[in-house]
Amino acid sequence: MPGKNSAPFPAFLTALSIVVAIFLIAFAVGKYPVSPADLLRSVFARLTGRDAGLPEAVEIVIWNIRLPRVTAGILVGAALAAAGAAYQNMFRNPLVSPDILGVSAGAGFGATLGIFFGFSLTAIQVIAFVCGLLAVGVVYAISGLVRRHDPVLVLVLAGIAVGTLLNAGVSLFKILSDPHSQQLSNIVFWLLGSLNGIDTRDLASAAPLVLIGLAPMILLRWRVNLLSLPDEEAAALGVEVARLRLVLIVAATLITAAVVSIAGIVGWVGLVVPHAARFLVGPNFSRLLPASLLLGAGFVVATDTLARTLVVIELPLGIVTAMIGAPFFLYLLARTGKTE
Amino acid sequence: MKRRTLLRALACVPMLAPLGGTSVFAQSVKSNLIRTFGRIPPPSDIKRVFVAGGPAAILVAILAPHKLLGWPSVSWMHSEARNAFGPPLRDLPVLGQLAGRGSTMPAEKLLDIKPDLIVDAGSVDETYLSAAKRVNEQTGIPYVVIAGRLPDSARQLRETAQLLDVEARGNALADYAEEILSEAARVRETIPVEKRPRVYYGRGLEGLETGMLGSLHMEAIDAAGAFNVAAQGGQKIGVARVSLEQVIGWAPDIILTQDPNFASRVLEDPRWRTIPAVRANRILCAPTFPFGWLDVPPSINRLAGVFWLFAHLYGIGKDDLERRTTEFLRLFYGIERQA
Amino acid sequence: MNVIETRDLSIGYGRKVVTRSLAFDVKAGEVLCLLGPNGCGKTTLFKTLLGLLPPLSGEVRVLGETIAGWSRLAFAQRVAYMPQAHPGVFPFTVNEIVLMGRTAHIGRFATPSGHDRKIAADCLEMLGISHLGECSYTAISGGERQLALIARALAQQATVLVMDEPTASLDFGNQIRILGHIDRLRHQGITILMSTHQPEHALRVADRIALLAPGSITGIGAPQDVATPDKLADLYGVTEDEIAAYLPAGGLKHDHCSH
Repeated sequence: MPGKNSAPFPAFLTALSIVVAIFLIAFAVGKYPVSPADLLRSVFARLTGRDAGLPEAVEIVIWNIRLPRVTAGILVGAALAAAGAAYQNMFRNPLVSPDILGVSAGAGFGATLGIFFGFSLTAIQVIAFVCGLLAVGVVYAISGLVRRHDPVLVLVLAGIAVGTLLNAGVSLFKILSDPHSQQLSNIVFWLLGSLNGIDTRDLASAAPLVLIGLAPMILLRWRVNLLSLPDEEAAALGVEVARLRLVLIVAATLITAAVVSIAGIVGWVGLVVPHAARFLVGPNFSRLLPASLLLGAGFVVATDTLARTLVVIELPLGIVTAMIGAPFFLYLLARTGKTE
Repeated sequence: MKRRTLLRALACVPMLAPLGGTSVFAQSVKSNLIRTFGRIPPPSDIKRVFVAGGPAAILVAILAPHKLLGWPSVSWMHSEARNAFGPPLRDLPVLGQLAGRGSTMPAEKLLDIKPDLIVDAGSVDETYLSAAKRVNEQTGIPYVVIAGRLPDSARQLRETAQLLDVEARGNALADYAEEILSEAARVRETIPVEKRPRVYYGRGLEGLETGMLGSLHMEAIDAAGAFNVAAQGGQKIGVARVSLEQVIGWAPDIILTQDPNFASRVLEDPRWRTIPAVRANRILCAPTFPFGWLDVPPSINRLAGVFWLFAHLYGIGKDDLERRTTEFLRLFYGIERQA
Repeated sequence: MNVIETRDLSIGYGRKVVTRSLAFDVKAGEVLCLLGPNGCGKTTLFKTLLGLLPPLSGEVRVLGETIAGWSRLAFAQRVAYMPQAHPGVFPFTVNEIVLMGRTAHIGRFATPSGHDRKIAADCLEMLGISHLGECSYTAISGGERQLALIARALAQQATVLVMDEPTASLDFGNQIRILGHIDRLRHQGITILMSTHQPEHALRVADRIALLAPGSITGIGAPQDVATPDKLADLYGVTEDEIAAYLPAGGLKHDHCSH
């Protein structure tokens, strides 16, 4: 893609305006009818600090339901796409997603346990978050024990093995839970991801963790590029490879576990979005990261808007991201195949 | 040795099945509620009954507790339910359930415990029927599937009782069920549609799962004549997730649930504040002892939910609710005091 | 002064020893050329000297300091490594690949500055591949990748350059150009340790040649003393006549002119 990288600025501007448009549309549509006029009046009233004179239900829908939900879409999308971009670079593989080291499998297992034993919503989120971190911790510890192979390969294989084990655990609890009670559908729905019911408290707990995880990615944005070289080359260029990799794994795991614990497992975002971003601005992480953040936010807000408006019921977000993400991915694959 | 002979004999059954299938052996039980697979033994010979899932377990536990071999699972039971039951029910082991690919009961173990009959109850569709047929063909154990809609409760009790040779008890309970259901019909007749309370039934972690039009899980609420706000979607999709915006838009007068966590949370959560039910503090949390009163599992247990709803929705028999509850628990479950 | 010193060095992977008891030095400002058959451990030796592979026993000192005493950053500021070229996974531009050579000189949390870009551009120009700057590294030919990696090593502005077969997969013209560059770098006072499969290249640029046979170094010294037909025949397992017939007449007797 020669020439693409030299002019990333217009691409960014285009992406930014598309995302802002998606954000506005997402804000304007929903199951509770809010006219654009009422929406504008309410926003204007908030800005000027006056009373909009609208029914309280309209105010609650706009500010307590849609705003947290759209914000959660931005947070979840940006976080998963950033983690995916970092992992694709680090594992030198464009088909890697943030789940590769078992964070989602761990969080899914934790949530399943919490649902099975009937814990409260908050407790389920905490267990999911902790189990996500633990799963990656175990994978990393295992990879430390195996020294005779390529460390990246060992990480991936350990991640697959631990993930498989945890998914087996999830399946076991699915079988044990009763089909007539709500447990099974709760587990299934959780595993497919949803932003339904997210409130400001969820955002307040997840957003700081995401920002903490993003900080090292932003700071180390140049050095992350070097991780896509073979370890020895990166080391010879002055990078402490093992340490940098650990920092990125911790950051990406924190980010992913934080959003998965509030939104469930939303697939495809971390895989497809970095791809699309790389297609637009090239692989340089200094540009790939902001592009991924932007496109990820736009993608999830758009898919979640579809998930909550497409049919009369609420669709799991993971289903919509897959329905849109997979064909888009194939389209990108076909296009890159032609240009190279 | 003996089992091997049995298995060999069973190998012939699949060839016969397409010819005979259900109709040849169904003559002993004439019913459109009960579908049978295999040769059903005479009622007096049925001593050991294995139940495939929750609804059937409740049906058999109510009618013939001494014939029940075990519980298919206990996840839908109130934590104190087993201790409250009398001797045969209290001491039953947990065996596992039969639910097609979701079965936790191995066919070999099924043969080992030698039931005279397998009973399944609940929604009847081709998936359930073909799974029942397959189990019958594989194990040779006769299998019955009972359609478990709430309005048919009386007939279910009567006909299942015939099958299990406990007709007297079945008739008594069926009379009781008929009384509740005809009371429900009267209530529905007397209260005009526009006067019926608009209810939202919240299930799931966030209370954002609900039963749509005609859902099996809404039968107790439908029987009590309440108007299910989610039925406005007109979709026959059973249970589905909805968004909070949608619930606010439906503006239910009453929120029903079986989850005390959700019931208390909904009053504190500012997002639910504008909903009329929350404003009027009309969050009704149904009991779940020993089984769910509105739902979970969808079986005879829901009869209690119907008179409970009369009391709470319309104030009908409100003073009598304690007595009726005690009576129901004693009559159906043999539980002497209220939890 | 010795830039690299090895004492009783054994190298290899895990329990598999490739070469034992190495003891040789690389002197400041010289071009030391490593000759040896396939699989004799040239790349293993380079990785050990660069601290990318732990020595099995013995000691390596670079610029007076043991390998363990160096941080990767400080080491990369002084020693550059040009590996054999791999295509890579992501379509970084050649510019970006060369800029990666600047990593040791830019802050941990910084990105390359205009100054770094200028250096990278100069390195590309020096190698005559400025036109490739905006091309994708994954889409150019193997020879072009080789040149880009040399540019990256130059951008590192190190005083020691370790090159693993810099002339492999280059066309004839580029081979000549690269040897010219190596000669120029030596005149700038840069120490070069390189491997090659072509003795005539070694003869063309090396101050000293080391013969690395599987297991040990069989000779090290001035080209005319080491790259003799008999020793080469011994090293590569062919006859002296074959060597003589293959290399240009008198090529091995040619007295290499040192500055």
